[in-house]
Amino acid sequence: MNASKHVWIVFKKEVKDIVRDKKTLLTSIFVPMLLIPILSMLVGGSIEDLSRDINENVTIALTQESNTDEIRDIVENQIIKDYPNISLIDTDDPIKAINESKVRVVLDFEKDYASKLAEGKPFAIKLIYDKSQTKSQGSLGILWNAIGDYNDRIVKQRLDSLGVNPEILTPAMIEESNIANEEKTSGSILAVSLPMMLVVLMASGGIAAATDLVAGEKERNTFEPLLTTKPGRSSLLLGKYLAVTLFSFVSVVATMIGAIIGFVIDPSSMGMGVGTDITGFSIQPLAFFMVIVISITLGMTFSGLQIALSSYAKSFKEAQTYMSFLMIIVMIPAFATMLMQPNDIPVYMFLVPVMNTLSAFKIVLGGSINYAYLLMALGSSVVYVVITLCLAATLFKKENVILRS
Amino acid sequence: MIKIHCLSKHFGNIAAVCGISFEVKKGEVFGLLGENGAGKTTTLRMLATMLRPTSGTATMAGWDIVKEPQKVRSSIGILFGGETGLYDRLTCEENIAYFGELNDMSRAQIKERIKELAKVFNMEEYLTRRAGKLSKGMKQKVAFARAIVHDPKIMLLDEPTSGLDVSAIRDVHEFIASCRKEGKTVIFSSHSMSEVEKLCDRVGIIHKGNLVEVGNIDEIKSRYGNQSLEDIFIKLVGDRSER
Ligand SMILES: Nc1ncnc2c1ncn2[C@@H]1O[C@H](COP(=O)(O)OP(=O)(O)OP(=O)(O)O)[C@@H](O)[C@H]1O
Ligand SMILES: [Mg+2]
Repeated sequence: MNASKHVWIVFKKEVKDIVRDKKTLLTSIFVPMLLIPILSMLVGGSIEDLSRDINENVTIALTQESNTDEIRDIVENQIIKDYPNISLIDTDDPIKAINESKVRVVLDFEKDYASKLAEGKPFAIKLIYDKSQTKSQGSLGILWNAIGDYNDRIVKQRLDSLGVNPEILTPAMIEESNIANEEKTSGSILAVSLPMMLVVLMASGGIAAATDLVAGEKERNTFEPLLTTKPGRSSLLLGKYLAVTLFSFVSVVATMIGAIIGFVIDPSSMGMGVGTDITGFSIQPLAFFMVIVISITLGMTFSGLQIALSSYAKSFKEAQTYMSFLMIIVMIPAFATMLMQPNDIPVYMFLVPVMNTLSAFKIVLGGSINYAYLLMALGSSVVYVVITLCLAATLFKKENVILRS
Repeated sequence: MIKIHCLSKHFGNIAAVCGISFEVKKGEVFGLLGENGAGKTTTLRMLATMLRPTSGTATMAGWDIVKEPQKVRSSIGILFGGETGLYDRLTCEENIAYFGELNDMSRAQIKERIKELAKVFNMEEYLTRRAGKLSKGMKQKVAFARAIVHDPKIMLLDEPTSGLDVSAIRDVHEFIASCRKEGKTVIFSSHSMSEVEKLCDRVGIIHKGNLVEVGNIDEIKSRYGNQSLEDIFIKLVGDRSER
């Protein structure tokens, strides 16, 4: 029959119709395209700035009592000598200076430090900081290191003067060796952010189209005439369904393009995005192909659900409400599995909707591919496509749902 | 051309249409008169295969509405309610062409037909403009053209004049007259007596889902002692309400 021709006619018209809607285009192409660059700039940029700031311009001061020439000499010429990023500042009220963020950490030397040092006894250096200030707290570690180095130097001097080799202090040397290859490490950063973003984008990409194509048609009274044209309801449904599916991927593709453009313009700004991680990253073609197919089936599952919700809704507004609910429900597994490591994913997760796609992505991007798991994810995804499509078809053919008035 | 046989539709406990039967011959304009909630829309929706009858059936141009809904749909054109139901973001041309395509017309046929209809309805200037940007009257003409793009044998019109201004009502009346001239079979529903008297060959009066009178207008009038159609209507409807 020419049912497939009818599906194609409906599909073409719906795509044309949606593309002409500026609002839909904005939400499914423009916003996703800017998503990663903006996120990277906001999150990545500020994290980078902060960590740079913490490491640079570490300002310290001495308490009133410790502010003597001898102590200044120890601090400047011994403790912070090898740390050009630390600078000692003169101030009358060091505590006030911390509060005003002029000084990060204040050092207070024990009163009789000099005699203790000479006798070879430990003396105390108190580090005063403000835990509520990120920079103050972050600088603490740098001072720990500086004072640690200073300690090592004194110990070495003391042992030397006793004629002992300082090596006796280090019976066992530790050497680290990371067996994760380059592919695995860069992959696991990807494995955290990419699948989650993909799933959320796919779920959101089709929303505008799905809402418009059934609930919108009902509301604008274009649906009844359409129902009296020759094609059967299944053909109308499939045409609309495919249009929604297309749009759920348009957003994904738009996001990827945005990420790539952002990366090309300014590679450093994309620190937390996918841009930097993609370079030098490779995975097995078959596994890659399988996750692509799995994610397409997830997109189809979302479209089926969204068409079903849009058919069920009494009005455009109601359809929008249902769609936001769906988004929230999708976000939960997306965030819940975000930090899960590829090797720790329980087997059943490869059968749960949404989770199965997320898990498949994780194991493939994380470089620990298991084809049995991938097949489970693929199989269950196909089942969900069929279920949601049947649900949409059932609602679409119910006259009291489709002709509410 | 149209044979309706014991057609019924129940929505849960509500009997919207209760076993109505009548025939409409080829080329006839049949008026379905009834108050609000009488079951006019429900009847027309069943004939258009949008609703499945609870019991009974009808044949349209020889096709059964239950067994051959697709064949039925390709032989009907509809105009429902006061809303034109055009796609605002498509041009007039595209709106008409979409329905032509859905009814299996070829591209060449559609092009030819749109040219023809544009001339008939005087809408050549705005054919390529988006439907959403047009005036109500312009939209209505596009809706007429869309309804008959595939040259259907039967036209179903559900209260096509409700909520329209005088000149738009006249356009609808002219459209119905032109359908009759082309030999199309027309059923249209209305609650305006004058409109029915002006346009119809035969009428059916429907009340609470039952067909209480059907026949030639003159015939009916003489049967009730030459009262006006309005008086007859009130009498019939009032009679039934009292029971
Ligand atoms: N989808 C539906 N679900 C439930 N009841 C319905 C539905 N559609 C119509 N009805 C009921 O069926 C009856 C007939 O309605 P219908 O719309 O056919 O009347 P009508 O003659 O077209 O009236 P109007 O002049 O108001 O358009 C009404 O009582 C109505 O409430
Ligand atoms: Mg009605």
